[in-house]
This record gives sequence, C-alpha cells and structure tokens, in this order.
Amino acid sequence: MWAQQVLLAVIGLSAGVAVAGGLFSFIVELGVIADFADRTHTADQILFYEDCTALGGILGNLVYVFQIGIPAGDWGLAVFGIFGGIFVGCWAMALAEILNVFPVFMRRARIVRYISVFVISLALGKGFGACVHLFQGW
Amino acid sequence: MASDSKILYIKGDRDVEVTKPDVTLGDLLSMECTDKLMLAKIKTLRIVKFKKSGRQRCVVSVLKIISCIHEKFPGADVQNLGEADIIVTYEDQKTPALAWHIIKTVFVAAVTFFGAAFSIMAFNNDVDVTKLFGQMHELVTGQDAGRFTILEITYSVGITAGILIFFNHFGRKRFTVDPTPMEIQMRLYENDIQTTLIEDAERKGEEIDVGTTGTSGSNRT
Repeated sequence: MWAQQVLLAVIGLSAGVAVAGGLFSFIVELGVIADFADRTHTADQILFYEDCTALGGILGNLVYVFQIGIPAGDWGLAVFGIFGGIFVGCWAMALAEILNVFPVFMRRARIVRYISVFVISLALGKGFGACVHLFQGW
Repeated sequence: MASDSKILYIKGDRDVEVTKPDVTLGDLLSMECTDKLMLAKIKTLRIVKFKKSGRQRCVVSVLKIISCIHEKFPGADVQNLGEADIIVTYEDQKTPALAWHIIKTVFVAAVTFFGAAFSIMAFNNDVDVTKLFGQMHELVTGQDAGRFTILEITYSVGITAGILIFFNHFGRKRFTVDPTPMEIQMRLYENDIQTTLIEDAERKGEEIDVGTTGTSGSNRT
C-alpha cells in the first residue's frame, strides 16, 4: 500500500515538473511576454511579469486539479476572459511569427505591400472563427 | 597639424539615447587617444542635429563619424572597436507620468497572470488529467480512486517546483546567478529590433553614411 502511494507520488511529481517545464518554456521562448514588456516600455518590470506568470500557472493548476470554486460572478469571468483571450491571441501570433509563417507566404506570393491588410484580416478571421466555434458549441 | 598620425580608438554602442537635439561624437562614442587635447576637441564635434520636437530616430554609420573626424583632423588614424552602425534615438526629456507606467504594468501583469492560468487549465483540460490520474491510480493500486489522490497533490507540487526552477527566481530571490529566461528573451528581442532598424535604414537609404548628405533624423514610426 505504501509502496504504491510512493510510486504514485513519484509519478505525479515528475509529471508536474515535466509539464511545467514544457508549457512555460513554450510561453517564454515564443517571446510573448518580452513582446508585452517591450510594447508597453515596461521592461524594467520583467521580473514582476515572470512572477505573475509563475503565480498564474501555479494557482490556475490548483483551481483546475482540485476543482476549487471561485465565487467571482459574471464580472470575474469577464475579466478572466478578456485577459486570457488577449494572452492566447498574442501567443498564437507569436507562434506563427516564430515559425516564419508570414515571411514564407509573403515571399511565395510575392506580396510586398499591404501587409497590414493581411494582418487585420488574419485577426478578424481568428476572432470570427473563435465566435463561430464557441457559439455553435462545438 | 601637430596631431598627425595619432591613433584614435573609438567604441560605440549599437543603441544610444540622447536628450539634446545636437548630438556630438562624445554622446555616441567612448574614445581614447594619447593626445588629450585632440580628444577633447573631437568629443565636441557635431554629427547629427534633430528637429526640436518629438521622438526621432536615425541610424549613423561609423564611416560618417570617421569622415567627420577626418574633416577636422585629416591625419588622425581612427580605429573602430565598436559597432559599425549606431542607432540614435532622440527624446525630449519628458518622462511619462508614473501613473501611466503603473497602469501599463498592471495591465501586462493581468494578461500574463490570467493567460498563464488559462494556459495551464487548457493544457490540463486538453489531456484530461483528471481522468488520466484516475486511470493511473487504478493501474498502480488496483482500486478506483476517490475524488482526489496523492497524484493530484504531487502533480501540483511538481508544477510549482517546475515553474520556479524554470524561471529561476521568485520575487527578488534568485536561486542561481544566471539571468532568467525572460531576461534573455528580452535582450534577444531588443537585438532583433536593433538589427531590423539598421537594416531597414540601410535598405531605404536613410542611413547617415559618407555618401549621403542628410543630417536630420527621420520621424519615428
């Protein structure tokens, strides 16, 4: 009985460390947060942003795994939704950027102008797609 | 001239911020020469003049700087030990209000906090860890798990440990002397921006080089 619990503990611990390492290096190495800090000219706060990311990961995991109820109401959900949405949007674009999606397509299609139009239509398309997906309940 | 055949060593950073519209060589470079008088004179030579208002930026080639020195001291032997192109950003010394800075910081903090929370929940949901933990518990102990087992607890401990080890600090306390991954990312990002600015200016022909005559900065976009 004890041996089993110890084995489970070892599995759980290593799973947690591996997942944390993978997910957070994915976030950091894509440069999303460095981007935020640079855009807002608040690079001096970068350590604070790291703390926020770490705290968000730790608390978010606790809330999910232990199914802790948070009585924040609709407004709390709205706050979570808007900030979570901004983050995921930037994240998705950072991923596309790091994979050189845009330069490759622009070069192949020989597009040199109106790049901002493509960026805007990309953003609208993402937003529209998310709306359809969520409202259809897929 | 008495200062002929003196070696002048110059070293410039890639990215310089100035607060006066008249930019002298002393603002851009650190220099060393055995002739202190010549050194002091060179430091006051003007290389760029910005228009008075707003934020402006230009890219100066080190060749332009050398030719500027040679104009006054034709015999000086200039050795460049620094960058070949220097980005000069001029900004009126108006520090933005502290409140605005705090608002921006709080905004980014909220985005990173909720974003990280959402990401880990989305990941857990994606792989359905709750079900997976149940299956693992059954595999090891042979019994159906209750609601929460030791797996959930140690997984959470593991997540916490992994994040803190990865980021290498919490609050002001650092675990090792290495820079954190985010600090490295920040520097890489700045480097990319500087490279882009320089190459952009070169390609558009806006760089202040020996071939060009323009000495006013282009407006920052």
